[in-house]
Amino acid sequence: MRTDARVWLLVGVLFVLHLMLHVGLGLGREAPDLLTVALLLSAREVGMGRAGALGLFFGLLEDALSVLSFGANSVAMTLIGALGAITRDLFVGDSLLFLVSYFVLGKWVRDLVHWIMVGDSLRQPFLDQVMVQGLIGGAYAAGVGIVLMALTGLWRDVPG
Amino acid sequence: MPAYGPEPETTPGRRQGALAVTCLLLALTTSYLPGPAQHRIAWSMRVTVLRPFIATQARLVAAWDNRVQVAVLRQQLDSLAASLSTQAALRDENRTLRNLLDLAERVEPSFKATSVLRGGTPGSESMFIVQLGSRDGITMGAPVVSRHGLVGRILEVREEISLGMDWTHPDFRASAMLENGTMYGIVENRRGTFREEDRLVLNGTAYYESAPRGTLVVTSGLAGVLPRGIPIGRIGGVEDVEGRWRKAYRLEPMVEPGSVTHVIVLTDRADLDLAQIWGADSLATREQAISEGRMP
Repeated sequence: MRTDARVWLLVGVLFVLHLMLHVGLGLGREAPDLLTVALLLSAREVGMGRAGALGLFFGLLEDALSVLSFGANSVAMTLIGALGAITRDLFVGDSLLFLVSYFVLGKWVRDLVHWIMVGDSLRQPFLDQVMVQGLIGGAYAAGVGIVLMALTGLWRDVPG
Repeated sequence: MPAYGPEPETTPGRRQGALAVTCLLLALTTSYLPGPAQHRIAWSMRVTVLRPFIATQARLVAAWDNRVQVAVLRQQLDSLAASLSTQAALRDENRTLRNLLDLAERVEPSFKATSVLRGGTPGSESMFIVQLGSRDGITMGAPVVSRHGLVGRILEVREEISLGMDWTHPDFRASAMLENGTMYGIVENRRGTFREEDRLVLNGTAYYESAPRGTLVVTSGLAGVLPRGIPIGRIGGVEDVEGRWRKAYRLEPMVEPGSVTHVIVLTDRADLDLAQIWGADSLATREQAISEGRMP
């Protein structure tokens, strides 16, 4: 199967898996943020505009269950999609170091933007939401993302 | 020879940039849309893409209940049947007397029971979905209770399902009083440094009135949002004191929203006093119930 087809297949699987875990099973932080991983993966395959549009769609889906902070996820995911696509022009290759940094930073920036956009009354403490949960969530998402990429053969660069 | 300059940007690149900026502006716009427009967008997502996943959770909750809680439900049903059998004659007599006194219009409280569904997406903490809607008589602001007390209230109502928030939500407020009506205040959720430190606080009480530890706090029915008499929590100690004019008390909540799977939504809120509905065995906080071995 061609690489881009495998990427989109993995993005589709991650999309369904994320919604199944977070909406179907109602899991919160126990389940990784696979939607951000899917967005970051797809952002490396398409242009900035399409990645932004995909981010907007993903964000609206997440906002559908958070009435009082509607739009916060949309802005965060759109921004991450667009920024993810820009990295394609800045960084080439798929070394383990790059992928881990890409997923961790992507998820952390997503949480940071969401924290900024969510509004004063709903905002959790910065230390908990961004510094602790954001980084742990980033590492969790990166771990799962890299394992899935290795399983599907999308990550071929053997470290060391 | 032309002067050296930056590499000209290609048309597809510009188009992609313009599309990205448009998407970002659209995303920013959604944050500032009026509430009804936001609700319509959220609703369209819930009834299309998210529908199978929400339905999956509903089926899983039902299957889990069938598998695990049969024995508990049977015990509760037996208790209920025993209680009803003794009260049936009393209720009949009460109804006859009401009719005689022309009190038919003062109806008894009506409730709808349902399961609680929760999303795990960012920003949906403290929110829940109930599979009851306007066709079941649910209205915006309707109180959501469990057998221990107040869980939260309904925020958005559609025909088939509704969205609610529990008391852990930062916007949650309830007008409350001590069980004996000696002290009034506002119950609110107070944020800690970490989510686990969030606590329920009875705020705005008079400085020279004091509430003994363990006193039950119930809704006061003021402002007409929540009916009077729904248990919220028990006084756990003084949270803070401001000058010599205001005290706030920390509450031990009656209900831990995260562990609630079934709730009752009140469909009729007109000037009710629900204090008699909660029996003595329900008026224990979850911690007390666990320590007394009445809850797993």
